[in-house]
Amino acid sequence: MLEYIDSIRKIAEKILKEGTVEMVIGFRRGTVPLMNEPCVVKKPEDVKHLVWDSSCGVNLANYLPDRKEKIGIVAKGCDSRNIVTHIIENKIKREQLYIIGIPCKGMIDRRKITGMLEVEIESAVETAEGITVKGGGVEKTFRKADVLQDNCAICIHRNPVLSDEPAAGPVVEQQGVDRYEDVRRIEGMATEEKFRFFDDLLAECIRCYACRNACPLCYCPTCFVDESRPQWVGKGQDPSDIRTFHFLRAYHCAGRCTDCGACERACPMGIKVRLLTKKLEKDALELFNWEAGLSLEVRPPLDTYKPEDPDEFIK
Amino acid sequence: MGLEPGRIHYSWISSAESTKFVDVVKTVTEAVRALGPNKQFVKKMAKVA
Amino acid sequence: MKVVKINKQKWTEGIEALKNMYRLYGPVKEDRFHNFTLLEKGVSPDFNFQNTRLSPKGVIYPQTEVMFHYTLDESREDHHVMKEAAGEAAPRAIVGIRPCDAAAFLLVKRNFDTPEYQDPYWVRAYEGTTLVGLACQQPCQTCFCTTAGCGPFHEEGLDVLLVQETDAFLAKALTAKGENLLKAAGWGEAGDGGTIEKMKQDAETRIRTAVHTDRLAEKTIPDLFDAPFWDDVAFSCINCGTCTYVCPTCWCFDIQDEVSGKAGLRLRNWDSCMYPLFTFHGSGHNPRNAKTKRVRQRFMHKLKYYVDKYHNGIQCVGCGRCIRLCPVNIDIRRVCELMNTYAASR
Repeated sequence: MLEYIDSIRKIAEKILKEGTVEMVIGFRRGTVPLMNEPCVVKKPEDVKHLVWDSSCGVNLANYLPDRKEKIGIVAKGCDSRNIVTHIIENKIKREQLYIIGIPCKGMIDRRKITGMLEVEIESAVETAEGITVKGGGVEKTFRKADVLQDNCAICIHRNPVLSDEPAAGPVVEQQGVDRYEDVRRIEGMATEEKFRFFDDLLAECIRCYACRNACPLCYCPTCFVDESRPQWVGKGQDPSDIRTFHFLRAYHCAGRCTDCGACERACPMGIKVRLLTKKLEKDALELFNWEAGLSLEVRPPLDTYKPEDPDEFIK
Repeated sequence: MGLEPGRIHYSWISSAESTKFVDVVKTVTEAVRALGPNKQFVKKMAKVA
Repeated sequence: MKVVKINKQKWTEGIEALKNMYRLYGPVKEDRFHNFTLLEKGVSPDFNFQNTRLSPKGVIYPQTEVMFHYTLDESREDHHVMKEAAGEAAPRAIVGIRPCDAAAFLLVKRNFDTPEYQDPYWVRAYEGTTLVGLACQQPCQTCFCTTAGCGPFHEEGLDVLLVQETDAFLAKALTAKGENLLKAAGWGEAGDGGTIEKMKQDAETRIRTAVHTDRLAEKTIPDLFDAPFWDDVAFSCINCGTCTYVCPTCWCFDIQDEVSGKAGLRLRNWDSCMYPLFTFHGSGHNPRNAKTKRVRQRFMHKLKYYVDKYHNGIQCVGCGRCIRLCPVNIDIRRVCELMNTYAASR
């Protein structure tokens, strides 16, 4: 994907020069290995700062809600689906956007690499073949497929669904992926076991809300955990309050989640928070044949009523 | 999420269906009472005092 | 101060002996990461880490701490009377704290323990705890302690400094508290402290990055406050609390009452200047109502307000956690450089 950099810069420069947009949202080179920082470029001469590689996992759609400018935005498959969702939910207007589409080959999970290397990564170089990292006197090359973010490994919408100008030709979509193996495993647990599973899953949570804030879907002016009149949930480290936060956050994403993995990537404690949203994503697919953010024309299942909506759970 | 089965109940009751509402509330209350006090997802902290 | 040598067997015996005298905290590997926890019998601290993901700040200053408890039951004589919570018993000791994290307590102390006001919870916990530091021989790439008023072998803030040798520890008692701990552990064999200085210099050369803070004090607050770079610095910020929660020097909190039936608790929880609620007034007004303002506050507090108020350097020990764990790669070193070199055009 390194080859996208030139075309991203060219497109960005063009739309800034022509005045099509006032700003371009993309990534600049990060200060630590395998991290890039979302940034905004406003002058054509600054497009040189824009980069692209497999460490651009932050979902840039998160930076769009309620902006008034005309914006160019670099968008992977998942980002584009969240842009569609934003447009449907009136958080941004289609006319405001110039989408630079990125046919995505997946993003790297740097924690996987750290885990396998067992020493701190000092430097990392990405090539078409893989990722070569150095640390603690050791050099190791990883195949990208082995160190992808979990959501990228099972992604079936790598190409942007909405794009004004693609940075490259489409990539081949993955076929025959079993997206819900882990969710089925949890669904199969007995009640007690399930409760313990989630206790363990969330045990390390420090309530920094990085998962919520990294998510493009979470744009409420005041989140329910921040409400004080009435206060819905305690603010301390009580496990029941932590669990309430996580479950309600996930429920708010039902029928909207694109499984972009931004929440999981952002978690400083490495909690697999996607397991919560994935269950709802699976339900949306199975009950309503719905995948979020694929079309501007169809309303999401949870804000429409159809006589044939499943209702077996209503007694 | 590991809540004991039987503690959550969904119903669709129109504002005109008062008798259905009464019936559902009775049934649900009885069913939950039969399960006994909730064991999972109970906040324990404030009991310290 | 004297240096003692502790061989492997003495080490394990001493750790067990300490558990009879102290509530002993140390780093333990949980799943993938090390974390400071209370060491049960038979559990030794595991020093096979560069630095822990979270600092042991929470041992002294828990994320959620009961301050008072009370009852609303009016049939009881003591209803609506706030009773101070007992807190955790002392003495306690933290074994294996990094020098930066120990130095951080000294910065926090300037807030919680002043001539006018003492925070009884924090002061009690801090004074009742002996800090046994573990010199940092393999600093992280993101460490910049040597230019943040600290260092991999920094002694200030510690009671004992441990230095790891191939098959033994050298322990340098730095305070009376530290000497007592060494005595309680039965560690008394005289050691040769001559090698420590060399190891210290080696470790310091392994700190690869730096911040420049020399010109922060000379800037005016309005100049830095109105500097043009804040929008760019804050753009990527998602306003989560990661940087503040993992920071060993962040001390802000929020007080909450929680009532269940007639029983009530007054709790103190960590809070974060990244959250809109942090400054949300009862009137509905929020003076820091935008992300940029909150991001600016964090950096201005650490790198300017603190500098001006205490004349004690920056409110940062250079542990690098906020850099390593920030979900969007906001780097305090970069921001510090922007602030330090900023020249207002007037």
